[in-house]
Amino acid sequence: MNDMKARNSRSRQWRWPISPETVRAVLSSHSVLGLAFAGIIYLVCLTGTIAVFAPDLERWEIPAAPVISSLSDTAAARAIAEGARHAPADATLYLSLPTPARDGATLVAYSPTFERKWAVAADGALADMEAIWTEFLIHLHVNLHLPRSWGEFIVGLTGVALLSSLVSGILAHPRIVRDAFHLRLGGSRRLQEADLHNRLGVWALPFHFALALTGALLGLSTVIVAALSLLLYRGDMGKVYELFLDPPPPVDARAVPMPDIAALIADARARAPGAQPQSLMVERPGRADMRISVDGGRPRLLVSQDETRFDARGAMVHDEHPQDIVTGTRLLGGIGQIHFGWFGGLPVRLAYGLLGLALCVVTSTGVTIWLARRRDRGRPAPRWERIWATVCWGQPAILALTALLALLTPTAPLPAAWLGLTILSILAAALAGTISADRLSRGWRWALAILLLALALLHGVPLLGKDMAPLLVDALLLAGGLGLLASLLRGQKARAVAI
Amino acid sequence: MIAAASLALLAGGALGASLLRRSWQRRDRSAIGLIAGGWGVLAGLALASAVLIGPVKGLALALALQGIGALVVVWSSRVRRKAARLREGEVAPEPLEEPGRFWRGVLRALLAGPLGMTAAMGIAFCITVYLPGDPRTRIVLGGMMMPVLWGLAMTWTLADRRLLRATAVLAGTSIVGFGLAALGGAA
Repeated sequence: MNDMKARNSRSRQWRWPISPETVRAVLSSHSVLGLAFAGIIYLVCLTGTIAVFAPDLERWEIPAAPVISSLSDTAAARAIAEGARHAPADATLYLSLPTPARDGATLVAYSPTFERKWAVAADGALADMEAIWTEFLIHLHVNLHLPRSWGEFIVGLTGVALLSSLVSGILAHPRIVRDAFHLRLGGSRRLQEADLHNRLGVWALPFHFALALTGALLGLSTVIVAALSLLLYRGDMGKVYELFLDPPPPVDARAVPMPDIAALIADARARAPGAQPQSLMVERPGRADMRISVDGGRPRLLVSQDETRFDARGAMVHDEHPQDIVTGTRLLGGIGQIHFGWFGGLPVRLAYGLLGLALCVVTSTGVTIWLARRRDRGRPAPRWERIWATVCWGQPAILALTALLALLTPTAPLPAAWLGLTILSILAAALAGTISADRLSRGWRWALAILLLALALLHGVPLLGKDMAPLLVDALLLAGGLGLLASLLRGQKARAVAI
Repeated sequence: MIAAASLALLAGGALGASLLRRSWQRRDRSAIGLIAGGWGVLAGLALASAVLIGPVKGLALALALQGIGALVVVWSSRVRRKAARLREGEVAPEPLEEPGRFWRGVLRALLAGPLGMTAAMGIAFCITVYLPGDPRTRIVLGGMMMPVLWGLAMTWTLADRRLLRATAVLAGTSIVGFGLAALGGAA
């Protein structure tokens, strides 16, 4: 009776709606795409995972920079005036005010030929904030240090490849329910890596999908706008941008006095009672064609949707609030927030960090499964095994080495150092025929553990007893280094017992 | 607020996943209550987060934190094995293998890359041109569709062994899509 019941319930079991032949074809597509883009997906995911902590890394790099939790309107006005003195007249000043999701105020002055960043103190005084390693890391993530549009296109294409891999990965996973909670470590290498790959890939799928989609959009935006303008506006990209950005006022370079910025912030606050000013933008400060915008955010909204704009005389020229903003503009504003995890402070950054790490593991195990399958079939690829071990563990170690370099020699050319070390490490891995991939991987892990500990100690020890905030990153580095060291020592002990 | 909500969502994700895991352990799908309870906890908390924290902000937070909670359950139920051999039933499907030919590889790369991109753009721009509503919303929605469509085109062209069919479909979609979008845009 029980047997029959079990048989009946099994016969009622839901079956994967795709034929086994199609599953194998999709799996083949998943493999091809994954292998073709594995290196670059891994690099973009790794740098993105670290770049989530950019605000913390900037504070870590420049521990002396002031970090404030509120800034008065008068102090904000003083910071703008001070910034205008140090920037060319055609520059734009962008002041980010402290919010519940982001401690500290920063002022950036930029123009096509100029860029400078300061931290703002409570009285509006400016302190230089050139966090060179964080800047290097963000550019590596956003455009791989290639010319901007090319680099962004390649990263966008990587996002599309990741999206496609996520879709094909799910379609080619008929055991998604059957293996939903299996995590079998040890034993068969292929099964272990497949379990890690599939469990991390499935349970974090919404996050990975959102990240890949927003990343692809950010990277491909220039191409999309260019194609759309070719199709609709005879190639005039400005026409597409004009739909989202108001055109600047006619050029008038005459010098005029700055209006009372503090009064303008107070005016904007009064016009949006439910919002708090979050940023201030002054275009062409001190010129007759100056434009000042105050953006405000509301606690329940992802992006700031209140904007009041003033002209050079301080007269209000534009005022908009959430009810005036179309869905498209809101979606556009939210893409960056969702991608970088800027919307919820440290808890969100930590969650993004963990899930980003999971995506790195998914990418790494994907290639390892392919290599293990080849080995199981008697067609091992030891050179590729060594190269992949070098990419997976060598890249974090090389990034840690560039951070150490930036700490000890702030003028060091970091992109060149990273590129040189990456090429050298991969070449060495390809040529070092006598070393096994496992040994190479262990070597890189030792190097990474030592570098993380060295970074934490060299940076953290001089700060002990002073400002404790930058020590958060040191604590994470220390924990990472010690954890890695412990796992290496445990592995060494297990190998000794096995012998 | 966000910190407290994060902890609640993490715990809720773990609770929902634990209920689903208990139903999964029974294998015979007799535990409908556990399945409904598990998904109910996950969906309910995501909804509560959207209501209390904000529609997009809350949902984004829920998806991230609940995913971590579920992974904690998966990690805590890991097993250590010694057998290096795969048992029967543990073997996942194998990818189809066909003899590698250089020109097929080049053609596939062209189909999944540039041609897939133009086909995806063709459809996305049709959406942009013909969808009713504000042009800014149409542009952003079309733009958001483009990477998804390109990704789908990549999956399909790399899986389909009939390259001529894939070429015809993608080329046709590109021509029709761009043609219709240009007609609509000119109008």
